[in-house]
Amino acid sequence: MADNNPFPGENNTGHIWDENLRELKNPPPRWWMIGLWASILWVAGYTILYPSWPVGQEPTQGILGWSQIKEYQSGLEKVAAKRAEFEDQIKGMTVNEIIADPGLTQYTLASAKVLFGDNCSACHGSGGQGNPGYPVLADDDWLYGGTTGKIAETIKGGRQGAMTAHQSILEPDELDTLANWVVQMSETLGKGGSEEGWALFRTKGCTACHGQAANGILAEMPNGDVVTVGAANLTDGIWRFEPGGFESAKHTIMYGVNQPGVAETRNAVMPAFGSTDTGKLSEEDIKKLVVYVHELGGGK
Amino acid sequence: MEASLEPKSSLEQKYNFEIVRWFTVMAVVYLVLGAAVGVYIASELAWPFLNFDSPYISFGRLRPVHTNTVIFAFGGCTLMATAFYSVQRTCGVRLWSDKWARFTFWGWNAVILLAVLTLPFGLTQSKEYAELEWPIDILIAVVWLAFTINFIMTIAKRKTSHIYVSNWFFLGMMVMIVYLHVVNSLAIPVGLFKSYSIFSGVQDAMIQWWWGHNAVGFYLTAGFLGIMYYFVPKQAGRPVYSYRLSVIHFWSLMFGYVWLGAHHLQYTALPDWTGSLGAAVSIAMIIPSWGGAVNGMMTLSGAWDRLRTDYVLRFLIIALAFYAMSTFEGPVMALKTVNALSHYTDWTIGHVHSGALGWVAGISIGAIYHLMTRLYHTEMFSVRLINFHFWTATIGTVIYIVAMWVSGIMQGLMWRAYDEYGTLAYTFVESVDAMHPYYAMRAIGGMIFLLGAVVMLFNVLMTVRKSVVSGSLAKARAVPAAA
Repeated sequence: MADNNPFPGENNTGHIWDENLRELKNPPPRWWMIGLWASILWVAGYTILYPSWPVGQEPTQGILGWSQIKEYQSGLEKVAAKRAEFEDQIKGMTVNEIIADPGLTQYTLASAKVLFGDNCSACHGSGGQGNPGYPVLADDDWLYGGTTGKIAETIKGGRQGAMTAHQSILEPDELDTLANWVVQMSETLGKGGSEEGWALFRTKGCTACHGQAANGILAEMPNGDVVTVGAANLTDGIWRFEPGGFESAKHTIMYGVNQPGVAETRNAVMPAFGSTDTGKLSEEDIKKLVVYVHELGGGK
Repeated sequence: MEASLEPKSSLEQKYNFEIVRWFTVMAVVYLVLGAAVGVYIASELAWPFLNFDSPYISFGRLRPVHTNTVIFAFGGCTLMATAFYSVQRTCGVRLWSDKWARFTFWGWNAVILLAVLTLPFGLTQSKEYAELEWPIDILIAVVWLAFTINFIMTIAKRKTSHIYVSNWFFLGMMVMIVYLHVVNSLAIPVGLFKSYSIFSGVQDAMIQWWWGHNAVGFYLTAGFLGIMYYFVPKQAGRPVYSYRLSVIHFWSLMFGYVWLGAHHLQYTALPDWTGSLGAAVSIAMIIPSWGGAVNGMMTLSGAWDRLRTDYVLRFLIIALAFYAMSTFEGPVMALKTVNALSHYTDWTIGHVHSGALGWVAGISIGAIYHLMTRLYHTEMFSVRLINFHFWTATIGTVIYIVAMWVSGIMQGLMWRAYDEYGTLAYTFVESVDAMHPYYAMRAIGGMIFLLGAVVMLFNVLMTVRKSVVSGSLAKARAVPAAA
């Protein structure tokens, strides 16, 4: 080959392709060859240390005794140890007892922040400020009651609103009157609803849920809890379904809330977070969330 | 090397350059389209109003359009152009079958068209980089086999005694992709556009990533190393640095790559032993990968000054630098400890793009500029625009990957941050919120890269026009074949 090599004096293999493609006889760089052997040793070493070879009945376990489930559990244990000081106290306490202790309240709020952010904020906003169609948690207007007991009940069991669709129950002019009345009630904080509106409200069954005073409260208990079915307070200027106003009110009256078979019905569903089926949040997590929601500003 | 342009025009008769021209121009068209869709979906993440509440253009539907366009449309056309070109020239013979080559061209473009017609409508197998439904999978297998057989038969009738190194890499890719694609696509059809994988659970996941990582390892690495081994020494006019190095790193890559897929499934239901093997062999792949980078870069030894003037060579060499970097980064991310931080974060996206934009696109763009002058028998319309493209591509890529490094590591750290009470410090949505500036930065990096690609398409089309108007292509075609 050397005789007719078109690149005389070059240390090439003697093979030429496409006129000038050729390869030199250089050995691979020394560091590279060392690296290659080291790589082989690395694989041997690593697979001795860690579970690796699927031979026999059980794969080799590795001499370090590592497994990902052990690593996971030791991580959990570390966190649990860090939390233990406060968690052990909280375990035996009621929500109201926790709230009475400023130190524990501070811990619980810090601890529940991410619980709230990851489970509640998608609907209720990152600060509990609500979203169109999803209630504000930072004010003192409560559909189902704002005591710690009621908040716990809501988180554990979820909530499902219900309101009859009145499109075929009421006459068109009655629908208009009632929707106008709702707007007046809202604007005057319950003081200026028309007589015709009040008459319809009282005679068409609305009081059964919204209460005699239209404030959503059916009865008050001696311990401060209120009896409600989750119907909106019509006297506080807060709209349950945005954007509010005449059309919005009329829509709700006509199509109701969560009415099966009514395409335009309003949706008002909160999932159950303590359900044994989904097992989403533990008893302790829910306790923390109750404190968190209660302390957002409007707890009773 | 410029002297070789004119007298060699009789190569037009000897070789099938027509098919190479088609694939080359389409590769550039797909580079622009694929990058444009990428920029759009990156912008959707930064500015979500761009979804316009339409499912057809939502991120989830367009993302596979982006990946399929850049990997299979752009990457595939580049591989087919360069493989068909270099196999003819290094074997000294025309393609075994012009007809099969034309079938490969139309078949491959049909696959791409079908991808664009199905993915936005949610017709997908939901396997990453293997989204296309079973009828299209069959078409891919048929077209890929036609490509492979044509390539093998051309080598079989070669006039050279030895098979040149670039052809080993192309062959390795072709054989492995047939195997990987067929096994991963095994599915039971329940309708024309719906099928279920024959594997289930963690086995399905393992098969999927065995394919997924080897789409990277064989298609995007071995194939493009084939391009490197032909186009770097050709463009530089220098011999390959070390024959022995090319043999060793070829076989170590071929042997090692198929083990790596498991590293995509660390800390999942995948058994511990499978993940360890994936991690161990991943680290062992750094040196074999660097073998290719070193062999390519050292090919320039003694001619480094060429980088000052030769813009095409710049693309090829910066591509090797990105290759060396991302083949170090990837194995490190495969280690369980690093993976625990990096997995599911944008770091992965950044890593993929340092490979995809820096290495794959870089080596392809360099090879395509090299091809253009040989295929159209004229100089490029504008060398200054190549230089402009070089800087936009490089700067765009660097902005992209830096943005993703920062956002990825930040995500990983935020997700696992605990406060002094032992409770999580951040909600998930806070980590999403913190990503916004980096998503905007990534979109801007992508736009800069896209700008370069558009300029390339313009430059390529103007070169074709120049060649047609000046008659240099017609003249080359008219030269009778040398005896």
